[in-house]
Amino acid sequence: MHIQQLKLKNYRNYGDLDLSFDDKVNLIIGENAQGKTNLMEAIYVLAFSKSHRTPREKELIQWEQEYAKIEGRITKRNQNFPLEIIISTKGKKAKLNRIEQKRLSDYIGALNVVMFAPEDLTLVKGPPQIRRRFIDMELGQIQPRYIYHLGQYQKVLKQRNHLLKQMQRNVKTDPTMLNVLTDQLIEHAATLLERRFVFLELLRKWARPIHHGISRELEELEIKYHATIEVSEDANKEKIETIYLSKFNEIQEKEIERGTTLIGPHRDDLIFFVNNKDVQTFGSQGQQRTTALSIKLAEIDLIYNEVGEYPILLLDDVLSELDDYRQSHLLNTIQGKVQTFVSTTSVDGINHETLKKAELFRVNSGTVVT
Amino acid sequence: MYYPEPISKLVDSFTKLPGIGPKTAVRLAFFVINMKDDDVLEFANSLVNAKRELTHCSVCGHITDQDPCSICQDDTRNQSVICVVQDPKDVIAMEKMKEFNGKYHVLHGAISPMDGIGPEDINVPDLLNRLKDEEVEELILATNPNIEGEATAMYISRLVKPSGIRTTRIAHGLPVGGDLEYADEVTLSKALEGRRDL
Ligand SMILES: Nc1ncnc2c1ncn2[C@@H]1O[C@H](COP(=O)(O)OP(=O)(O)O)[C@@H](O)[C@H]1O
Ligand SMILES: [Mg+2]
Ligand SMILES: [Zn+2]
Repeated sequence: MHIQQLKLKNYRNYGDLDLSFDDKVNLIIGENAQGKTNLMEAIYVLAFSKSHRTPREKELIQWEQEYAKIEGRITKRNQNFPLEIIISTKGKKAKLNRIEQKRLSDYIGALNVVMFAPEDLTLVKGPPQIRRRFIDMELGQIQPRYIYHLGQYQKVLKQRNHLLKQMQRNVKTDPTMLNVLTDQLIEHAATLLERRFVFLELLRKWARPIHHGISRELEELEIKYHATIEVSEDANKEKIETIYLSKFNEIQEKEIERGTTLIGPHRDDLIFFVNNKDVQTFGSQGQQRTTALSIKLAEIDLIYNEVGEYPILLLDDVLSELDDYRQSHLLNTIQGKVQTFVSTTSVDGINHETLKKAELFRVNSGTVVT
Repeated sequence: MYYPEPISKLVDSFTKLPGIGPKTAVRLAFFVINMKDDDVLEFANSLVNAKRELTHCSVCGHITDQDPCSICQDDTRNQSVICVVQDPKDVIAMEKMKEFNGKYHVLHGAISPMDGIGPEDINVPDLLNRLKDEEVEELILATNPNIEGEATAMYISRLVKPSGIRTTRIAHGLPVGGDLEYADEVTLSKALEGRRDL
């Protein structure tokens, strides 16, 4: 799939922008703080309806303006359709084929995007919520139904935590309501976990050979899912539910004492191993980078296999972070088949064929010259 | 922008209605000023009377101008089935459908710990008393198909189960996560047919 045309209105430092893109490689060049990331971010928001940089949507609206609008024309499976995101001080609208989609799960997945930015290097080093967010976003864009369950799970979790707080302070003592919410929570928790296991198996399948290649065949990547219950990854939903139920029964008193839900997918994590060593703790910076890069590149193949088309790849300011070998590995992977946006402050030292053929966009404080 | 006191008071009143923001309130207020005196008077009276003459039925909680309400007083209706709903508007939707001939119980809300709403804050205790006094064989739990409505149905079902009364939950055709009142009559009657035991 690719994005043919992008229109921005009042989006960050872009007042009015209308660009047409090459379906191969688009090179976005500009000094710092000119709007390169803003442009990439706009494409990301068009796909996910959320920014990768900030949870505060108002930041996306140009200062002093009332609303921001992103419009894109997408080509996917020989079809051509518009996507639209409007963010105003009142809220957000997402339109697919000009029709507003009330549920996020009806919108996300129309456009698939993989982004790789310097902060993605924290995928390995950073706190667990970064890895959970990674799973949720990536799984969500290939399986919109997952987003629905995630939303339901988070709602029940919030209710359950409130009840546990009330029980902790002895405001409420009724165990029946807690049991009801526990059952509700388990139902969605088991669905999330079951789907995460399937996703993880795919991720391993694609990431391992890539990592092997980038590391010049020196490293073996392993990814482990760390759950708050003891469960094998081939367990079906019923089995997972049973395990959750007995664990919740076991820890009920502790949960009331602490006033919060202590287990569930919202507390799980991923652990990466290179040559059997935990990369987060024992890996060199190079190994951490290779791991993050392998995971991101794996997503491209994974999405191709699940969705039937390659996603759009956004490489924001990362080429300079990678050494020549990793750079050319990356560029070889995308060559000719993935619509790619590469941003950089300068083209010096970039000699790869793929980039020489790229369409150039020069960004200067919110204006773009092609 | 400053308005004469009577207008700003009227604007304030309009903004208390759901779905009406400041702009619409101003528009409505100026519209009222230009209405005929008689129409304004009738409007004002309707507002006051609706509030004064309507109460909640002491049996089922539905809004009514007589207590008990006409549904509770109707002996030709099936006394052994009670349909539990969240809102008086749901009763009206069910009645429009003309397929259900049992009685109702209106909860006026759903259990929601994060909003500080527990079972005792909605009409659940009254329901339990009714089940002791009346000859009820089945409870149809038609709370909204979202997290809170679902939890409320499960909660009631668990309390009632030991008594041997059958509890069912309407299931099919309802837009998941939606509000019951938006369901059209066809989906609602399908939902009623496809109810399942809880
Ligand atoms: N809401 C906004 N309205 C106007 N300008 C903004 C807004 N948010 C960020 N900017 C401006 O955008 C610029 C940063 O753009 P960015 O795309 O991050 O730069 P870079 O080219 O280095 O990637 C800064 O000059 C910042 O002031
Ligand atoms: Mg940048
Ligand atoms: Zn009544």
